[in-house]
Amino acid sequence: MASKRARREAGIGYLLLAPSLFGILAFLIFPILVVIWLSLNSWNLLSPAKFVGLENFVRVFQDTAFLRSMTVTVLFVLLVIPLQTALGLFSATLLTRGLPGSGFFRVIYVIPWICAPLALGVVWKWIFAPTGGALNAVLGTNTSWLTDPALALPAVAAVSIWSQVGYVTLFFMAGLSAIPAQILDAARIDGSGPWQTFWLVKLPLLRPTMFFVLVTGIISSFQAFDSIYALTPNGGPQGTTDVIATRIYGEAFQSFNLGRASVMALVLFVLLVAVTLIQQLYFRKRITYDLS
Amino acid sequence: MTSPKLTPAQPLPPSTPDLTRQRRIRPGRPRAAAAIGTYLFLVAGFLLTVSPFVLSLMTAIKTPGQFASEPALSLPSPVTGENFLQLFSDDRNFWAPIAVTAQVVVVIVVGQLGFSVLAGYAFARIEFRLRDALFWVYLATLMVPQVVTIIPLYTVLSQLGLRNTFWALVLPFVFGSPYAIFLLREYFRFIPEDLISAARLDGAGTLRILWSIVLPLSRPILATLTIITVVSHWNNFLWPLIITSGRTWQTVTVATAGLQSQYNGNWTLVMAATTVAFAPLLVLFAVFQKNIISSIAITGFK
Repeated sequence: MASKRARREAGIGYLLLAPSLFGILAFLIFPILVVIWLSLNSWNLLSPAKFVGLENFVRVFQDTAFLRSMTVTVLFVLLVIPLQTALGLFSATLLTRGLPGSGFFRVIYVIPWICAPLALGVVWKWIFAPTGGALNAVLGTNTSWLTDPALALPAVAAVSIWSQVGYVTLFFMAGLSAIPAQILDAARIDGSGPWQTFWLVKLPLLRPTMFFVLVTGIISSFQAFDSIYALTPNGGPQGTTDVIATRIYGEAFQSFNLGRASVMALVLFVLLVAVTLIQQLYFRKRITYDLS
Repeated sequence: MTSPKLTPAQPLPPSTPDLTRQRRIRPGRPRAAAAIGTYLFLVAGFLLTVSPFVLSLMTAIKTPGQFASEPALSLPSPVTGENFLQLFSDDRNFWAPIAVTAQVVVVIVVGQLGFSVLAGYAFARIEFRLRDALFWVYLATLMVPQVVTIIPLYTVLSQLGLRNTFWALVLPFVFGSPYAIFLLREYFRFIPEDLISAARLDGAGTLRILWSIVLPLSRPILATLTIITVVSHWNNFLWPLIITSGRTWQTVTVATAGLQSQYNGNWTLVMAATTVAFAPLLVLFAVFQKNIISSIAITGFK
């Protein structure tokens, strides 16, 4: 009787899992096998796919446009991550001082985060427009922000930072308010000033928050597409804003080299898994500050 | 399959206390000068955040004539709805992408949440042999980024003749999301066993227990997941861009991008389109801001 019931219950378990298991197999795991298969074939969607072995890999690593997109992506991440983290931490510090109105500012800062990055990119494309754009009107300049090879990447990074600072702020606020008051009181009694307390007490205690914000930020910045696509179509001036995601899109859906685009996607996948594994290692040995 | 805004392999936020009730870090009043300094920075941040929205709305309610002849920052005079009328005219018909996106969002929210609830419950409360192994597989798929699956999904769905159909827009997302399943499992595990066994003694089956006991107790997490799914899929761009072509199945984001490249320089019309793209989520945000902010903190959703 008991085993019959257990078997029935197991049956129900598999039944409840069936739809999501189908989804995961069909739309997450099967595609990985397909992308590996595609990476070994030459295919333009029209003529039949042709097996070419590792030729796509060789070609991709000799492809100057792809190598440039790796550099552009790294530069983009290096511009976005430190700035958005510093600004987010700074505004979180201001917002946790207990001043009236802090809740209002926090709500406002999150607004760009819930908006479609594509539409935000379109709005900023107008703001950056050389004629009729808002930025040149404010600054009294006549700059071609998005078509100057020296300015395009910083401009694109600025939009990304602008849209994400509020989100980062939320996490630092949570981290800061989780710091026990006794620790801050102890620091004050020991004669620590606000600046010292920030660097020597709060910042070390924010380590887990910091790492979460950095890892998720790096992973999503490595995949940035929507706002960059809107701001600078086709890789921007001389390819200076052609990040990996826009390069993959161009290779797959404009040049129709699905094999080579699959290789690029796999390279990005390996990079992101590496970032994730480093983060896992870190979290395993993270320091906790237990007060009990 | 994962919501497009979820980054892969997202670690849980390390600490997620209730953000809506901020504890004052430092007791006592900050000195007036420091407070004024703080407010100066906060107001600067406010202006930087809000001005792009205000400026784009201002442009959307200007006549194209005024936009062409006056500086970008001039106030709209007269205020006009002609850009919006043009946007919704038979010619541009921006209603169509709104209707498509709304249907896509509804179908995905219902399917993804429904199937994720079933899976989350199975992982949390039902004993079966492969449970832990399968849960591990689900967790591992969190590491798969959208950019990697997009090319194979495009080729497979194209081969099946589903390119540029409604099904192609929803199929990859409708069967549940590993991240939602993970969050639901965590939540369901803390529902007291007594409640469930009492209902079972009264003769309730699994679905009955799920529907009348588990779901009513899980309203907060369901609200959170609904919000993040709506936001993710209203804003989704890359997948609809790739899998649709032409106007029939354009979503709002794809239509906005198309309008921008087609009418480059016609900024009053384009800003009307971005206003429409933002509006529903801004209204949602205004109504549910507290829930949305704590949802972000709970799920770390992006």
